Amino acid sequence: MTSDTPARRRARVFSRRRGAPSRARRRVGAAVRMLAALALAGGVYTAFTPGAFAEDNTQLSTAAQQGKQLFDNSCISCHGREAQGVQDRGPSLIGVGSASVEFQVGTGRMPMARQEAQAEEKTPQFTPDETKQIAQYVQELGGGPQVPAGSLTENLKENPEALARGGELFRVNCTSCHSFTGAGGALSSGKFAPALHDVTAEHIYAAMLSGPQNMPVFGDNQLSPDEKREIITYITQQLQQDKDPGGIFNLGGYGPATEGLAIFLVGITILVFTSLWIAGKS
Amino acid sequence: MTTVHHGETGAPVDVHDPKLTRFDIVKEGLRRDDIEIVTYESQFPGPNSKAEKRIVRNIAFLFIIAGLFSLAFLVFYIVWPWKFELGHTLSDYFTPILGITLGIALFALGIGILAWAKKLLPHELSIQQRHGDPSSDEERLITGQTMMFVADELGVQRRPLLKGAIALGLAPIGLAAAAPLVGGLIENPHKGEEPMMYRTGFDPVANGGKPVRLTRDDGSPIRPEDVSAGGQMTVYPGIPGGATNKYADSPTLLIHLRADDAEKTRTAADNDKNGRNKGSMWGNYVAYSKICTHAGCPASLYEQQTNRLLCPCHQSQFLITDNAQPVFGPATRRLPMLPLSVDDEGFFVATSDFKDTVGPDFWERP
Amino acid sequence: MKRRKLDPAEATANFAKGVDDRFQVATPLRALLNKVFPDHWSFLLGEIALFSFIVLLLSGVFLTLFFDPSMKEVAYHGAYPALRGTEMSAAYESSLRLSFEVRGGLFMRQMHHWAALLFMASIVVHMARVFFTGAFRKPREINWVIGVLLFLLGFFAGFTGYSLPDDGLSGTGLRIASAIMLSLPVIGTWLSASIFGGEYPGELIIGRFYIAHVLLIPGILLALISVHLGIVFKQKHTQWPGPLRTNENVVGERMFPRYAMKQGGFFMAVFGVIALMAGLFQINPIWLFGPYRAAEVSSASQPDWYVMFMDGLVRLMPNWQIYFGPYSLPPLFWPAVVGLGALFTLPMLYPWLEARKLNDTRSHHLLERPRDNPERVGIGMMALTFFVVATISGANDVIADKFHISLNAMTWAGRIGLLILPPLAYYFSVRICLGLQQHDREVLAHGVETGIIRRLPNGAFIEVHQPLGPIDDHGHPVPLEYAGWVVPKKMNKLGALAPTVKGFFFPVEKPAEAPVSPAPISTSGTREEISSKS
Repeated sequence: MTSDTPARRRARVFSRRRGAPSRARRRVGAAVRMLAALALAGGVYTAFTPGAFAEDNTQLSTAAQQGKQLFDNSCISCHGREAQGVQDRGPSLIGVGSASVEFQVGTGRMPMARQEAQAEEKTPQFTPDETKQIAQYVQELGGGPQVPAGSLTENLKENPEALARGGELFRVNCTSCHSFTGAGGALSSGKFAPALHDVTAEHIYAAMLSGPQNMPVFGDNQLSPDEKREIITYITQQLQQDKDPGGIFNLGGYGPATEGLAIFLVGITILVFTSLWIAGKS
Repeated sequence: MTTVHHGETGAPVDVHDPKLTRFDIVKEGLRRDDIEIVTYESQFPGPNSKAEKRIVRNIAFLFIIAGLFSLAFLVFYIVWPWKFELGHTLSDYFTPILGITLGIALFALGIGILAWAKKLLPHELSIQQRHGDPSSDEERLITGQTMMFVADELGVQRRPLLKGAIALGLAPIGLAAAAPLVGGLIENPHKGEEPMMYRTGFDPVANGGKPVRLTRDDGSPIRPEDVSAGGQMTVYPGIPGGATNKYADSPTLLIHLRADDAEKTRTAADNDKNGRNKGSMWGNYVAYSKICTHAGCPASLYEQQTNRLLCPCHQSQFLITDNAQPVFGPATRRLPMLPLSVDDEGFFVATSDFKDTVGPDFWERP
Repeated sequence: MKRRKLDPAEATANFAKGVDDRFQVATPLRALLNKVFPDHWSFLLGEIALFSFIVLLLSGVFLTLFFDPSMKEVAYHGAYPALRGTEMSAAYESSLRLSFEVRGGLFMRQMHHWAALLFMASIVVHMARVFFTGAFRKPREINWVIGVLLFLLGFFAGFTGYSLPDDGLSGTGLRIASAIMLSLPVIGTWLSASIFGGEYPGELIIGRFYIAHVLLIPGILLALISVHLGIVFKQKHTQWPGPLRTNENVVGERMFPRYAMKQGGFFMAVFGVIALMAGLFQINPIWLFGPYRAAEVSSASQPDWYVMFMDGLVRLMPNWQIYFGPYSLPPLFWPAVVGLGALFTLPMLYPWLEARKLNDTRSHHLLERPRDNPERVGIGMMALTFFVVATISGANDVIADKFHISLNAMTWAGRIGLLILPPLAYYFSVRICLGLQQHDREVLAHGVETGIIRRLPNGAFIEVHQPLGPIDDHGHPVPLEYAGWVVPKKMNKLGALAPTVKGFFFPVEKPAEAPVSPAPISTSGTREEISSKS
């Protein structure tokens, strides 16, 4: 997205706003004031009362202990102590798994900057290592889906059919929101399915597993890890590499809307100027 | 009408007069066509002027460009690798190269011709009389009378029997000619005991009376645990060809709701006004037809937090927790709910077909 | 007779004689060579449509050589790896083969599609020109009606062509088309069943659309275009009012050579632009859409731009269903059937409606400047605004997504805009026209503003005006009659200042070496004329 700032400004105008302005937006380490409108997966668990608040870090691995520090600095104000959730602010993160954290924090969606229809992708506030640490902490707190280690794409030399199978699965499961070209699309009332053009394989995998925001969850029973890898292969090999044999510009892959715009802005404009020149006095 | 036309003022000339120049003869032709050349002058101060030479050079340059790019087009067309390959290859640029070379060649040729006409040819201003007057009253009268005379000759007016016979004879012939053209196309949408338009592949009738399983597009059946909470799956009737376009009304969205949403949905379904959705859920699972009741697109944009289904064609929005009633957009009818159950082997089945008619609305929909 | 020496000249002469002996062409041919056409840039817009139609015919014939209009299921084993092994219809398979396994096939397909978009776009632009200049008035009403029919036929040609590849996007369009047919009262289900040969989608529709797309519709288009041009030829082109130009003559240049060369050159330019666009901009990448499956859909599903107004109206329509006992009329019926019908019949009737209102039975061969008929401009702008709002709404989900606006807000903005903006457009364009008229009259009455300020003996400041015509005994300009033509409003149009330099990329004033002195006022007689007036 090239014109992010004006777009966001518009988004602010059109989305219902509650709460304070976002002054602490870029301040890392400060307790970020955030109000979450959307409950994350696992909202059910807010009903359960936390068992113990004891400062019992002994079971946590070293990475998770570092993750806890980061969590207590940046996430606790909304997601509560030990990620139990805070009423009307942020959901409990028990059971969401490291996949969810890796997606939400790794793409900069969390911490949220402000109240809006949907958390937007931003520059991540944490380094990949820090993200891993928080993810580890949340994972050790309540378990949940994890992005597996190893390659998340299929090797097309060994397994050439993976691309076509991935395409098939992509069209059945993903295009209705993310569109045939992966350009993304609008959902109701200001929510949207983001474009897939610069998403990493890890984040796609994590998103399928965890169902962030309004995206449905695609558990491993529904799309097996192999099938997920095939979908990712299709996205990365076919859609992200801009394989557009039909021209230098693909007009964003938004379908006939931009094609119609192009015929007026390019075709009609050039030809009207040509006719002005033809009939002009020499 | 003005009395004098410009072109008629000049006197005719003898075109065989050897003293006439070619232009004089052309002017005589123009006079006969009622055209007057008001100005006809070279755009240049004199023959072989500098400006003229420059323009000739430019036009020649444009033609040569056109020729060069045409040749380039041919060369690239023949030698450039063009077969599609995965990854970044030279073949990606085949179409752009064809377009650029041919486009520049044609455009340069066009501009060259246009520049020739515009800059090189003498500046001309001609006036032609329009002669757009209607025919004279006399002419109209004669034509009218001629047509009436034709009618008289046929004498249909005088021979009433013929008049009737023509009407009786021609109308059936016309119908007979039109009938096979149109008649062959007509299909009765209501034919059969249970017309296809009122049922889908989930009707047990298509499965020998047994409840139809819900399957993936490859035909594999689905267990409840295959869909995670907050997940959805497109399912098809588990009959041969169930996932093909033959059963275009059958695709269904199976949704696994979270416990509290499921509770809301169940309450709404059980309090359904016409009772059709009562008891159609199975556990926290609910299945709605994917075919939008507005224009038939798959209404499949499932928002798992807000529990809305959005149709990408015309933005109708349906509330899952309230019997998929439309809450926004042009749709008027809710999405039909598929009554769910699980069979002995633990796979999802539809206990019956959809109880509402699937798909876009029409006049005689029950 | 061509200028040739020696034998060839004689041979040509003999040949020409032989032709004339048989067909008596000498006189009509001379009349054709000599026919005078008026020259104005806006008269070339219709030609864009004509030339893109020729490109459509040429590229379309090429495509038919490879396309297989069959819905038989086949497995794909072609060059495009991401679909290998997928089951698809033969129509889609042959479209893929055409795109990937025919040398230059993709280029031809894209040329065809861009030419179609250009054809429709230029028809709209041409229609706007004809409308706003009053070129549809008697005796040209029939040609206006034919023009509207050409747009309608182009609409159907485009839709059938969009459906042929049987890809995921075109299948979605077909499904909506079937729903529109179903929405017709009483006959809806019968019509849909008859056209699809049973229940949607059946196995016949691609074959039926194919014959409509390659034979029936282009045949009618070709016939109507011929009639359209024949009528223009017979009635002779309209022209703008101006010096020497009357309602009874045509002022311009002869058909040959200049006018014909301009046409030929412009054809090449149109062809070139289509080829450039076909090479630079990817259009309709069907390989990404996959074969049509009833369960699959993409967000941002839209029709091509000339159908988008209809889709937009469908999107904006509130969910009002009308019940007649056991029967019902779905809301889809109003925008898609009534809306489309009204958008075509109302413009068709407009020439007669206007003539009736103005009680105008004369023939008009001189165009009217838009400002001279504010009412018409207002109505036209109202219709155009309606069309544009509807078209934008046809892509409201793309706009909502890319500009981060709520989709529901876009729908409401469209609904409100559709009702409010057209009347506003009417009001503002009428006011603008009246203002321009008034300014013309003012300049005719008082003269051109010179920019010279003069102080009167009583201390007041006035601007000196250069009268366009003679002045009376008191030095006041004699008001001039408005001639329906451009009124000069700047001193350089009168030759009193350096002329503006023509061209798009040049500064307004000529550079210093220009032969015309940049300050002629102080020395030329014009200055005296200015000061002689008070």
